[in-house]
Amino acid sequence: MIKRAIAFALLAGLGLVFLALWQGFEPDPSLNRSALYYAENTVTDTGAANIVAAVIVTYRGLDTLGEVTVLFLTAAIVAMVLRGGLADSGPRPGRWPTGELLHTGSRLLVPLIALFGAYVFLNGHLTPGGGFQGGAIIASAMLLMLLTDPARNFSHRLIATTESVSGLAYVAIGLAGMALAGGFLDNRILPMGEFGSILSAGAIPLIYALIGLKVGAEFSSILLSLSEREK
Amino acid sequence: MVYLALATGFALILLGLYGAITRRNLLRLIVGFTVADTGTHLVMVSVGYLPGRTAPILGAAVPPEVAALRIIDPVPQALVLTAIVIGLGVTALMLAYAWRIYATRGTLDISRLRQLKW
Amino acid sequence: MVSAISIIAIGLGAAFLLGLMREGREALAHALTVLALGAMSAVAVGWLWLLGPGGAAVQEITTAGTMPPFAINLRVGLTEAVALVMITLAGLASALHMRAVLLRMGRRAMAVLLIAVMALAGIVMTRDLFNLFVFFELAAISTGGMVLLSDDEDALGAGFKYMIVAQIVSILLLIGIIFAYHATGSLNIDDMGGLAAMGGGAALAVFLVVAALVLETKPFPANGWALDIYQAAHPGFSAILSAGTGTAALIAVDKFAGAGGAALAPVLTGLGLLTFVAANLLGLAQTNDRRLLGYSSVAQTGLILAVIGQREALGESYLLIAGGLLVGHAIAKAGLFWLSGLVKGRDLTDWATLRRSPLLVFAMATFLAMLLGLPPFPGFYAKWALVHGLVASGGGALVALVLIGALIEAGYLLRWFGFTMKREASEAVASTPAELALVLAVALAGWGAGWIWGEVGPYENLLRAPALLLALAFLLLDWLPARVKNVAAIAALIGGFAASFASYDPLQMIFAAIIMPGGAVILLASFYEHGRRVGFYPSAMLMFAGMAMLIVAQSSFGFFAAWEVLTVGSYFLILRGKYSEPHALSYVLFSLGGAFAIMAGFALASGGMANFTMAALAQVPLTLAPWVFILLALGFMTKTAAIGLHIWLPGAHAEAETDVSPMVSGILLKAGLFGLMVLMLQMGSPSLYGVKLTYVLLWIGALTALIGNLIAAFQEDAKRLLAYSSIGQMGYAIFGIALMNHLGWLMALMFVINHYIYKSMLFLSVGGVAKRTGTRLMYKMGGLIALMPLSFIAVLIGIIAMSGVPPLSGFGGRWIFYNAIMESDARAPMIVIFLSGPIAFLYLFRLIHSIFLGQLKDENRRLREAPFWIVLPQMLYTAFLLVFAVVPGLALRRVDGYLSTIFPEHGLNWDGLTIRSDYGYWSPVSVMAVTVGIFASVLLLLVLLNHRAQKVKQFNIVYSAERPFRPETTHFAWNFFAPYRKALGFLLAPLATTFWDGVTGSLHGAADFLRRFYTGDGQHYAYHVLGFVLVLILIVGGGL
Repeated sequence: MIKRAIAFALLAGLGLVFLALWQGFEPDPSLNRSALYYAENTVTDTGAANIVAAVIVTYRGLDTLGEVTVLFLTAAIVAMVLRGGLADSGPRPGRWPTGELLHTGSRLLVPLIALFGAYVFLNGHLTPGGGFQGGAIIASAMLLMLLTDPARNFSHRLIATTESVSGLAYVAIGLAGMALAGGFLDNRILPMGEFGSILSAGAIPLIYALIGLKVGAEFSSILLSLSEREK
Repeated sequence: MVYLALATGFALILLGLYGAITRRNLLRLIVGFTVADTGTHLVMVSVGYLPGRTAPILGAAVPPEVAALRIIDPVPQALVLTAIVIGLGVTALMLAYAWRIYATRGTLDISRLRQLKW
Repeated sequence: MVSAISIIAIGLGAAFLLGLMREGREALAHALTVLALGAMSAVAVGWLWLLGPGGAAVQEITTAGTMPPFAINLRVGLTEAVALVMITLAGLASALHMRAVLLRMGRRAMAVLLIAVMALAGIVMTRDLFNLFVFFELAAISTGGMVLLSDDEDALGAGFKYMIVAQIVSILLLIGIIFAYHATGSLNIDDMGGLAAMGGGAALAVFLVVAALVLETKPFPANGWALDIYQAAHPGFSAILSAGTGTAALIAVDKFAGAGGAALAPVLTGLGLLTFVAANLLGLAQTNDRRLLGYSSVAQTGLILAVIGQREALGESYLLIAGGLLVGHAIAKAGLFWLSGLVKGRDLTDWATLRRSPLLVFAMATFLAMLLGLPPFPGFYAKWALVHGLVASGGGALVALVLIGALIEAGYLLRWFGFTMKREASEAVASTPAELALVLAVALAGWGAGWIWGEVGPYENLLRAPALLLALAFLLLDWLPARVKNVAAIAALIGGFAASFASYDPLQMIFAAIIMPGGAVILLASFYEHGRRVGFYPSAMLMFAGMAMLIVAQSSFGFFAAWEVLTVGSYFLILRGKYSEPHALSYVLFSLGGAFAIMAGFALASGGMANFTMAALAQVPLTLAPWVFILLALGFMTKTAAIGLHIWLPGAHAEAETDVSPMVSGILLKAGLFGLMVLMLQMGSPSLYGVKLTYVLLWIGALTALIGNLIAAFQEDAKRLLAYSSIGQMGYAIFGIALMNHLGWLMALMFVINHYIYKSMLFLSVGGVAKRTGTRLMYKMGGLIALMPLSFIAVLIGIIAMSGVPPLSGFGGRWIFYNAIMESDARAPMIVIFLSGPIAFLYLFRLIHSIFLGQLKDENRRLREAPFWIVLPQMLYTAFLLVFAVVPGLALRRVDGYLSTIFPEHGLNWDGLTIRSDYGYWSPVSVMAVTVGIFASVLLLLVLLNHRAQKVKQFNIVYSAERPFRPETTHFAWNFFAPYRKALGFLLAPLATTFWDGVTGSLHGAADFLRRFYTGDGQHYAYHVLGFVLVLILIVGGGL
């Protein structure tokens, strides 16, 4: 009871801070200087139509590299945690086999989902979406497969290789930006192309594709680690 | 509108944190944090919102020349994406920890994890 | 030079590359990890080289080909380069140290380690607030992973608690960042200077960010999570956590502090000092080594946080101070954590196993000295500059807090060192050569850092001081046999004296003579010791070096450095005694406390100026002078063991080794006396509220003499008796100089020589007797006159000299003393000091009577004379005393002439061999002749009268069929002065001991009570964090 009261009092205090923030908040009447810069210069700087994508991949590319690393890190640690635990107690009996309908349905859906994921990350510089969203969609295909056939063995090796190669390529592109263009992760190492077309915006589609693959592989790896614990 | 979203975000944070610091069960505690994370993300996008404007994606609807007058702030949107992914990573990590703690200690009660103190 | 951003690229690239490797190739993966960390370190070191000695400009690194604030940018200046070097090297060394566990856990663990180091480097370099958040999250998550490397089952709980706190911190940080962005339209930290001044949401946003960043530095009390991690994690990772994560968090606070504006600075200072004092206090109650290190890490980080808060006030010296503390702490803490990986048990006493390896003891001593800010390490320069800087900006109260916290820290760290040196050691440490090499390399890096700080700072580089270097050279010689080293040590002392002989003024000459040639004579006794005697010579020479540096010090810095050097050396020396663990600890704590008082006194006197000559003490403004005088005198009197500050002395002197007791008693005590003399020479006698401070000193001297002598009279242990007698004797000396007249000083200076001789001699002879009889208790001796005649002669001569009866030099001293008193009008203390004279006879009489006279015990019948090497110096002293008694003018005349330049009035007149004062004359030769004549005739008479005297039995008591409970109590020498004890016992109430016991007791009690705050429940830690943030916002917000 005392514990609840303390928790309540502390959160009430935090609530007061939030209240002050809320009361003092005024939406900007116009874009602030960062946003204005992006609105005016994204096209000339990066050639991307999706300004958010340009911010994510180029202007704040270092954040995004860190973000991808967070997933890589989490996947590695989750694998460490889960594999370091109990000795495998062998397959547990009593699991019902999944039905034929589910199998066939998933076989139909998985390629479509994967294709959609690829579409999302390849068009990230033009339309809403991008590497993370596309990667998550691809991982959902993985999830579907895991759900329909929990006993199936997936190739860790393939997933790990995808993850690492795309990560390395990402870092390499970043370094190439230092060598060939204005700095780390500068996207102008590739031609800018025609504004609005799929092969434009320099390295952004390439990076997004790598992020998509990497994120998809990392999510898949986390899901796989968690599901293998269930066997 | 913005104020409502902002208030909702703050409320979610407080609600989530309340759950996270009062529930004993590790899983509920993790759920509390995800709620609070969501609230944080909501607050972030709300702050970048400009009334009456549209998404920062250029094209036929928003030609680059008038972008400065038509789009909302793209930065919080970019930030929130990063924050979401990071939050997800932390959640996955906490879940893995919870599993391991259950496997070694046979409990999900946080008050049983008091071997280290003083 | 490649861009510093490649540190991040290399770390990430290698981590991803590890993912490509097959299972089962762990050795290769580890090699890759080490290679990558090596490359990262190389880049960092390269930049440090370019920015430091190379003088290159601060590096701005842009990304995405766009200027900030529109793209993320990084910056590497000197501060960042230093931090990068520490982080990457800590990572590299930890990867080597944790090789076994990394191989077991596989490539994933190595990738996590790489990313952890990379993330910390990112925190240091980035100038973008949100990017900072990303790197913090990476660091937090990788911490969550690295904790799993531990064998400790509790690590899981610790990791989870850590993540709870990390989640709360990240939510607060995100809210703060987004509102800061809203207020400035930029995420660049450089655009946020003074943001808090805008008030409203902007200010709140800044406070949220500040609170989150400060939480990363583990402030008290919101740091239970960090302590659990320190305790449970693999020590290799704790090293990174302490050296790397702490550094990165501090750099982050430093970067963002500008946004908080003026209101933030005092809060950071207050918070930092609170953490420093509280964490050190809590450290007192710890028994687990890693948790103790955790508390110490938290404390040190707090101190640096306080320094960051004082950035404006400290001005130019800010980098020297913050960097010195940071580097010292990082090296020391990493080294200690790695050492703890070699120790199996987790209790502090388990560290005794290190003792089997002198190299590891050397490493541990180095690390502890670095943490405590002892010379010649960076922390020493930093501590000095910090105290001066704070005084210059009027932060006297802060100085007090810093010094109190540092003293408590010294308490638990040195207690731990005492455990290591003295407790039961199970088996030797099982360390591989690689592990040993790593720890040693880190220790040497500490010495290297000390050199660098000495070079770049505005002070003298202590590692260039010849005396200190000579002493340190004995570390390298320590593998030689003791006798060879003894020859070298004697040669060094004599050589050192000869080299600087010409440059001493007469005052310095007297002290130099007893320090160097005097020390050499005592070292003759050390020839008795066989084997290698590891550690003895470096310690002894350190003490002598400190003394030699002290007497020639020109600047206050040099003086203080010498003071600390001699303290450290003598501490190690005293700690060598078999049962001296608690006594060495109380000695060093009193000494450090005294040293802090001295430092504060100098800082106050100089007004915070870095370079302050000793001579400038004379120009201290009148309003400050008494306070400076009090602080300095207090510091010096801890060394002379004035009453109230004396409780360390008896144990320290009595329990020390046979040849160490004379060194610390005969020589070391004079350091305090020298300090007092220099002090009064420069400052005269300032008054406080109309009371002359030298008058207070007179009283202190008189009471010290009375009480010291009185307690000495009731001792059963011969060495303790001598130790208490030293206290009393130093009382006389203080009284003499406090008289502030010519003869008082002459007496004091004569006393410096005399006390050295007879106290060294007595300690040696009593030590020799104790070596033969196997006890120091006098009632177990008796009748040794026939078996140990040389020792008897030494003691006899010694006590004659000491008691001030004719014909020896003590009489001359007494004569000068009474003349000096007559010139003074301080009557009341004079009576007290007169009273203590006869009491000295009581205890001196016991030495002869209980040890050498009376009947021989059965068990002692086969004893031989004390070892030759121990007797030899005694005979030299005897000869010297006899010569000095007849021709005191040899030494005194020059001193008298010198004193006439200071106190021209009432000097002595030298008339051939006769000496005249205003009140009478002293003719040493005739005194000697008359005394010897009287003695000879009385002796002859007694021999004639008593040639048929009857002998009595020893235990002259009737048992009446009953065995006494403690038979020794029936011995006549037991409780010898019982009647006096009845009369004067009330003066013996151990007030000082009770007082100091009360101080330590209440500190420990407070620590034990306070630490219950860390319940170990992760959710309680969450409350601490939330409460901390709210209070911080309240304080900072209220200050606006």
